[in-house]
Amino acid sequence: MNEFVERKIALTWRAPKRAYDVVIVGGGGHGLATAYYLATRHGITNVAVLERNYIGSGNSGRNTTIIRANYGIPEAVRFYQRSVDLYASLESETGRGIMHRQKGLLWLAHSEAGVRAERARAEVNVAFGTKTEFVDPDQVKRICPQIDITGGGLWPVAGGTYHPEGSTARHDRVVWAFAEGAMRQGVDIQQGIRVHSLRVEGDRVTGVETDQGPISAGVVLSAAGGHVTTLVSTAGVRLPIRTHPLQAFVTNHYALEFPIIVASATLLFYASQTARGEMLMGAEIDRQPSYSYRSSHDFLQHCAFRAMTLLPFLRNLRILRQWTGVCDMSPDYSPIMGKTGIDGLLITTGWGTWGFKAIPAAGEQLAQLIATGATPELIAPFSLDRFARDRTMADRGSAGTH
Amino acid sequence: MRFVFDNHPVDFQPGDSILIALLRAGLHPTTGGCLCLAGDCPHCLATVDGISYTRTCRTTARAGMVVERHPKDGLPKLPPATQAPPVDVRHVHCDVAVIGNAELPAEGRRVVTLDSKSGQDVIGIYAGPLVVARTAEGMLHVHPKEIVVATGAIELQPVAPGNHLAGICTARAAEKLKAAGVNLGRTVTITEAPLRFEGTGSVTAVVTREGRVECDTVIVDLGRTPRNGLARMAAGLPVRAVGDAAREPQIPACPQAGVVCPCSGVTVDDLKSVWDRGFHELELVKRATLAGTGPCQGAVCVPHIRSFLADRGGKLQPSFAARPVAFQPIMHEAAAGAYHHPTARTALDAEHRRAGAHMERSAGWWRPWTYADPLQEYWAVREGVSICDIGTLGKFLLDGPDAVELLDRLYPTHVATLKPGRARYTLLLNERGYVIDDGMICRESETRFFLTFTSAGSTHAELWIRDWADAWKLDVRLLNRTVALGAINVTGPLATALLRDAGLAHPPRYLEHKIARVGDIACRIARLSFTGEVSYELHHNAGDSVSLWRTLLALGAKPHGLETLLRLRLEKGHIVAGQDTDFDSTPRRLNHEWAVKLDKPDFVGKAALLRTNQLPLDRQLVALETKGEPPGEGAVLWNGKDYAGYVTSSAWSPALEKSIMLGWLRFFNGSLPEEVMVAGKTARRAATPLYDPEGRRARA
Repeated sequence: MNEFVERKIALTWRAPKRAYDVVIVGGGGHGLATAYYLATRHGITNVAVLERNYIGSGNSGRNTTIIRANYGIPEAVRFYQRSVDLYASLESETGRGIMHRQKGLLWLAHSEAGVRAERARAEVNVAFGTKTEFVDPDQVKRICPQIDITGGGLWPVAGGTYHPEGSTARHDRVVWAFAEGAMRQGVDIQQGIRVHSLRVEGDRVTGVETDQGPISAGVVLSAAGGHVTTLVSTAGVRLPIRTHPLQAFVTNHYALEFPIIVASATLLFYASQTARGEMLMGAEIDRQPSYSYRSSHDFLQHCAFRAMTLLPFLRNLRILRQWTGVCDMSPDYSPIMGKTGIDGLLITTGWGTWGFKAIPAAGEQLAQLIATGATPELIAPFSLDRFARDRTMADRGSAGTH
Repeated sequence: MRFVFDNHPVDFQPGDSILIALLRAGLHPTTGGCLCLAGDCPHCLATVDGISYTRTCRTTARAGMVVERHPKDGLPKLPPATQAPPVDVRHVHCDVAVIGNAELPAEGRRVVTLDSKSGQDVIGIYAGPLVVARTAEGMLHVHPKEIVVATGAIELQPVAPGNHLAGICTARAAEKLKAAGVNLGRTVTITEAPLRFEGTGSVTAVVTREGRVECDTVIVDLGRTPRNGLARMAAGLPVRAVGDAAREPQIPACPQAGVVCPCSGVTVDDLKSVWDRGFHELELVKRATLAGTGPCQGAVCVPHIRSFLADRGGKLQPSFAARPVAFQPIMHEAAAGAYHHPTARTALDAEHRRAGAHMERSAGWWRPWTYADPLQEYWAVREGVSICDIGTLGKFLLDGPDAVELLDRLYPTHVATLKPGRARYTLLLNERGYVIDDGMICRESETRFFLTFTSAGSTHAELWIRDWADAWKLDVRLLNRTVALGAINVTGPLATALLRDAGLAHPPRYLEHKIARVGDIACRIARLSFTGEVSYELHHNAGDSVSLWRTLLALGAKPHGLETLLRLRLEKGHIVAGQDTDFDSTPRRLNHEWAVKLDKPDFVGKAALLRTNQLPLDRQLVALETKGEPPGEGAVLWNGKDYAGYVTSSAWSPALEKSIMLGWLRFFNGSLPEEVMVAGKTARRAATPLYDPEGRRARA
């Protein structure tokens, strides 16, 4: 039996209605998880998720599937730890296999400043209940013998942090588990429908305009990643979001002999092995803002080169595929979730390079916000008004690569 | 001539591919499947000289090669780490790049042909446009104005039970095999989709609607689909497909049974199963089965899956793009031409290393961290005279009629009031009023300034100044002198005497600067202080650095490294931008409001500061002191059970005989706690500077 063929999830597509209590724009992990938690936790099922392409076609299906909570500020550590915990129980809750694997994550430093940053990361993680420990080069070598701790003689490993709860899960299956769970409760998920503007009366959102006509709604949540900027601008809301491409590549399939996730903030790459045996590598965002999915050879060339510096066994692996997603970057490297100042209009954006790992927690918390009208304490620090209030969530711990 | 296949020698003829040699010897690199001999299918992949997923049909046999089958059950092992020299990369510029086999009239244009038959395997087309190819001599990066894709067509593969057996090949593959003298035995050619192949290991018969035919080899001639992956990868670029690559694809009959995707082992039943459970888009079917995501990247299966989906959904869905296409490089090949950004070295780098300094990477430079004993280095500064290589500082000359106006608009401090020969500390703010760097302004004349920034911040600072000068259309010129100038800080109570010994009769006074000779070397001498002691920054041509350094050493100065410098400045409470500051550090949060003159008409960040200064403070950078060992930088501060912040800088202070820190401390009920817990100890807030609070020593 081929374990990679999805054999459980059944998606039920229904004809759209013209009005819903809640319309969610964007059928990626965030939108679908919010619908799922609305339906399963709060009994709110008169909900539509509108997706312009197919579900999971944006970054939910393009990310590198890493789950971790080793962020740099208390508010982020608590939030992502909630996500780590929800991910760990998602298979038992939904009865669907998402190929969740706890692998451990090594984050390497190559300089005095890098070591200082990793020590700080470990401190704030432990203070907020996330298991992260500082490790010296010898411990690095023991945890992952494949690492060349001399860094090819150029970039010796000076230390790092080990985050045992660092995990991966199959991104598509996360998307589908939430989609199916929401559909079973009666949520309508529409593919191939493009929302081009918001309908606003006074200070209140009343629905969306689509290429298939208007749909009215009491609450509209934009979960459309970086496209949120153009959407909410139709209601006069300005967002501090810039969208940058982020690329990744995989090799062909090899025996499962690399059980860990390795990242280097200095060399700007990270590597893990997928459940099918591909070695998966990524780097930092492209500098030029763009919505383009075009992949570059420059990325492949330099990411491969830097990865081989620390993991020299990669040299003879044959590259299978490269691809690109786009990241909605906020000025403080933290997400923006919640109210916008327009009644009924909510956003979830600024997911940068860390959106996948936040899917369950963000969905759960936004569902609670929609159900109660009050912003939950866990996501209150990530409200849009923090920029006006000079309460940014500057997070060096997330200003990395994945 | 022989190569080794799974420990057995195999004879080959010159020019043979590995696959041809194996088949001629009655061997097979895999367990079977329909061979295409065109680099499209996954049925000849093997490990060649340690590199798995190598297409044996496209790899010329060489004596001594080691060829291994991929494991029957499971995947090739991860290879061991090996060393190899970098792969060469060659760049070629031309008018037209022809990929494949097409006769193109040159018409005076420079045409470069990249044909896999001649050993140029194109990996991909990228923006630029850039065509990347692998050749025997290394990697080829072709930069054409336009690209012609003439890659021909892929022969359709059969989908039917038994299609994994050996003894099946395409029509064109059969011709090549016959030409190479491979014995195909009894052959039968089928031109319509078979019902099944029979046999164990190898084909013994094929069954079609017309009946069952016994044979040794089934030649499959089911039509063609354009090999247009490169063209699809290059959407939006000046690329055109010609010939077979440009034709409409032949859509095969809807597959009924058997394996559709041999790479991922996906059957027609699997397709039916996911279709029935709501996966209808080609992309969703791909993701739900992983069909098309293996080594052949959909070349075999996509035509059949499209046919399957068109049969059920009533419309033909577009194919997805593959990157790279077909010819997959190993990482070592893909990395050809890549490089690490260098870590810069000052002109004194060799001096430090010769002195046995422990070097650290810091802000993109190699810097001496310590020479031997950091405490000795410390006391040399506090009690004698010491020198430090500060050549990594950002150093700029700014000149022009609008220089004063630019700096007064850019900096939160007053610039117009600064007299020539004087120097002033300044913060650099962004529009949000957050500190992005700091440095010194040394005014030379009415129009000319010498500016410094931090080692880490200077690259950004240069862009920042140039952008604003452009935006405001001001008449200035900026010269980046960071690498052209060396800089040595002479510091300590005996610094003035040492410079006098070096021939400097009239050193500048505190916060003054002048051009004068030290020894026989022309220097810009700026009397500033980061260490808390009398300090003279000697900026000079980098070519003179070694001579100046040696002169100062010969006069009795001892060198100190970055560790000591950071300790000295911490005793003075001086911040290090980037270490003690965060992305959102306002002058108020940093206790640096003294460096901001809100009475100025305007400066970058003023509007934000006027607004945010009205908001209650949430946290501030404070100095802390505690007994015993210094807590680690990054250590968390606790106010009772509440998180109160963290330590940004920490060191033992030999002069104060206690541990001192800078750290971010949160407000509780509108005020900062006087005491916090850190690393299990009580730490008290302290006023800065901790050392020599009146600043007498630096001005002495």
